Amino acid sequence: MIAKPYLSFASLIILLLFAFNISAQSTITVVGEVLKPLTLSVSSLSKMKQEKVIVEDRDNKEHTFEGVPLYDILDSAGVTLGGELRGENLVKYILVQAVDGYEVLFSLPEIDPEFTNQTVLLATKVDGKALANGEGPFRIIVPNDKKHARWIREISTIKILFSME
Amino acid sequence: MKSIWQRKYILSTWAVIAVFIFAFVVQNEPEPYIIEYPAYFGGRFSIPKDNPTTQEGIALGRMLFYENKLSKNNAISCASCHQQKLAFTDGKTFSTGADGLQTKRNAMSLSNLLWVRNFFWDGRAKGLEAQAVFPMIDSHEMNQSLDVTVEKLKETEIYPQAFNKAFGSTEITANKIVKAIAQFERTLISADSKYDQYLSGAYSPTEQELRGMELFMTVPQPQKNIRGANCGHCHGTPKIFKELFHNNGLDSNPTDIGRMEFTGQEIDRGRFRVATLRNIALTAPYMHDGRFKTLEEVLDHYNEHVQPSATLSPFISDVSNEIDGESLALTQDEKKDIIAFLHMLTDSTFINNPKFSNPFKS
Repeated sequence: MIAKPYLSFASLIILLLFAFNISAQSTITVVGEVLKPLTLSVSSLSKMKQEKVIVEDRDNKEHTFEGVPLYDILDSAGVTLGGELRGENLVKYILVQAVDGYEVLFSLPEIDPEFTNQTVLLATKVDGKALANGEGPFRIIVPNDKKHARWIREISTIKILFSME
Repeated sequence: MKSIWQRKYILSTWAVIAVFIFAFVVQNEPEPYIIEYPAYFGGRFSIPKDNPTTQEGIALGRMLFYENKLSKNNAISCASCHQQKLAFTDGKTFSTGADGLQTKRNAMSLSNLLWVRNFFWDGRAKGLEAQAVFPMIDSHEMNQSLDVTVEKLKETEIYPQAFNKAFGSTEITANKIVKAIAQFERTLISADSKYDQYLSGAYSPTEQELRGMELFMTVPQPQKNIRGANCGHCHGTPKIFKELFHNNGLDSNPTDIGRMEFTGQEIDRGRFRVATLRNIALTAPYMHDGRFKTLEEVLDHYNEHVQPSATLSPFISDVSNEIDGESLALTQDEKKDIIAFLHMLTDSTFINNPKFSNPFKS
């Protein structure tokens, strides 16, 4: 947005190279109370079943976000969901962390289709294109959250933890 | 059979011995220190179980913080670059180390470190104990191994006693040095600025301060005629600190790559800690390289001179007070209002607190 008219062609190329590297190099890890820790890249996520959600973003316009339901990712990591989501497993939580240090939290029932009708999505695309720098490569979309503070961008880590109280 | 008197005599002898042992143990047991802070700071911090904060530990940490023997040339202490009167900064762009050369980055203000989890401009050290080691051994800072420091302190009269009081033994170790400094640093809490007094209902801000506070905390929405500077997005909460790392658009192609040097991730190029703004009027020059001499220059940067790059923070690039605007577009008066609010963050109680001053000069 703050494009400078004197920005040279060479620096544009450098910027594009950096941008390409960011997407190619970035991964997210799924760790904590899991049976199988995961490290996922854009390409490994693209091999999982994709879903789309159409929601209004901060610009008050409708957008189609595409990616993998967070439920499916945690399920493949062996997190206690579905029939196992009872008893002490109800005090587990999902801590999602971004590269800038921003963090948000979900309880497991908030993403489990046996508890909720919404699909919390780990998005990699918006309107058919890869998420922009500063937003992607990975972003969480929470369709039923009116305020978008948990639509966390630039995710690096998903931790499943027990409340220790 | 012992008589009742004999029994009483034996019992009371044991009681006297027990009292002596108890007194001896108690004398050597450091006294716990209760860290006090406003409820609005929240309790999201943890103190390592193997380093509880104690009166004696803090006293030792304070001595070490002001101790020149920690440096190779016996001329530099932590306090050389972290001076209380400047909210524990040194007023310099870069600091000069014991090797006579300059540090790579600007000395950071030390306050409310209890709530910090990853230290330094690039977040490379987890926890205060881990942090404390770096400046002591860095060649451009104190430039001395902890082993040498231990030997130097052993030869003094005061330190073996101080370590005994803090840790129950006169033995001096590198680990104990680090622990004591961390304990002292945990007590450096700034919570009595005009802004704190405002939060507790004890201070009524001026109209200009109120306007500045509103701008600071507000996301601009030009479609709705809402003006703001969005500072609070990264510098918000009553602590005026969030632990975040962002590229704030100082350079398109930075020579100091910041957090990327530590993580190796391209996405971290040019990212640095979002610094606390507590006592910001006292901690010039600003940014990791001290490039801005005044708060006016800082405001001009965010308003007019942000440089684009692949890792520029979207919370800076996507924000304007004009519809489809290319910069923040604050007016000169609005910038002055924000600076008036920033001055509300100066805490004179903190910079004059005798508990934090040089113990060798009192």
